[in-house]
Amino acid sequence: VPGSVVCCSSQNYPLYIRSVPTENELKFHYTVHTSLDVVDEKISAMGKALVDQRELYLGLLYPTEDYKGYGYVTNSKVKFVMVVDSSNTALRDNEIRSMFRKLHNSYTDIMCNPFYNPGDRIHSRAFDNMVNSMMMQVN
Amino acid sequence: GYSIGIRLIDDFLARSDVKKCRSYSETADMIAQVAFKMYLGVTPSVSCRSAAGNEFSLILDKNPLVDFVEELPAERASLWYCNLLCGVIRGALEMVHLAAEVTFLQDRLKGDAMTEIGITFLRKPEDRKHKRN
Repeated sequence: VPGSVVCCSSQNYPLYIRSVPTENELKFHYTVHTSLDVVDEKISAMGKALVDQRELYLGLLYPTEDYKGYGYVTNSKVKFVMVVDSSNTALRDNEIRSMFRKLHNSYTDIMCNPFYNPGDRIHSRAFDNMVNSMMMQVN
Repeated sequence: GYSIGIRLIDDFLARSDVKKCRSYSETADMIAQVAFKMYLGVTPSVSCRSAAGNEFSLILDKNPLVDFVEELPAERASLWYCNLLCGVIRGALEMVHLAAEVTFLQDRLKGDAMTEIGITFLRKPEDRKHKRN
């Protein structure tokens, strides 16, 4: 199941990158990069607007003919980008939203680990397992 | 943990309204079933480790202190993460005139099969005075 999940810190460097399958990794990374640019654009456009739960989800960012990129940003400006294959039309908005919510919850669990320093790369079995099950679910 | 324990015992006695324990075994049960339940919401199981009846083990199935800690990082592999609990128990017991040594015997965070705290009651000071007479 082709797809990619990326988690970026507030300074836009990657905390977690996962792509399946790994042959198309470069293409995924390209889409992720352009998606991040769109994310930044949207964030600066939001400006001083009150950010509630709904606005954390940024929606479809960057549709190419092959891939679709979705974005989600937390109040602490940590960004999640998910890239899925365009052929996967069965994926609905709710499902994408719930996947982002799961990512966000797993991320807060990692923050609760006293040995995790914010800004470090994420090396967590629980996080990996969650992303794995999500990638399989996307099928 | 010791500083917490010497103060926590007053809170515990005020809240729990329990009678004086008549044996070390009762004390260990009290710690596991009432105190742990009250402060951490878990009930470790108690087992007696010695024939003399002064060494006990508390085996923790669930440990809320390590809910978010997946594993110890490599440079902290020798850390007893919850050693604070041992100090709490030791301090609390000391305030009711029960001298004890409390240490971790096993820790799941270090790769052991289970998390086990060992409590060894040392002789009560009153007993010693009694013997001298």
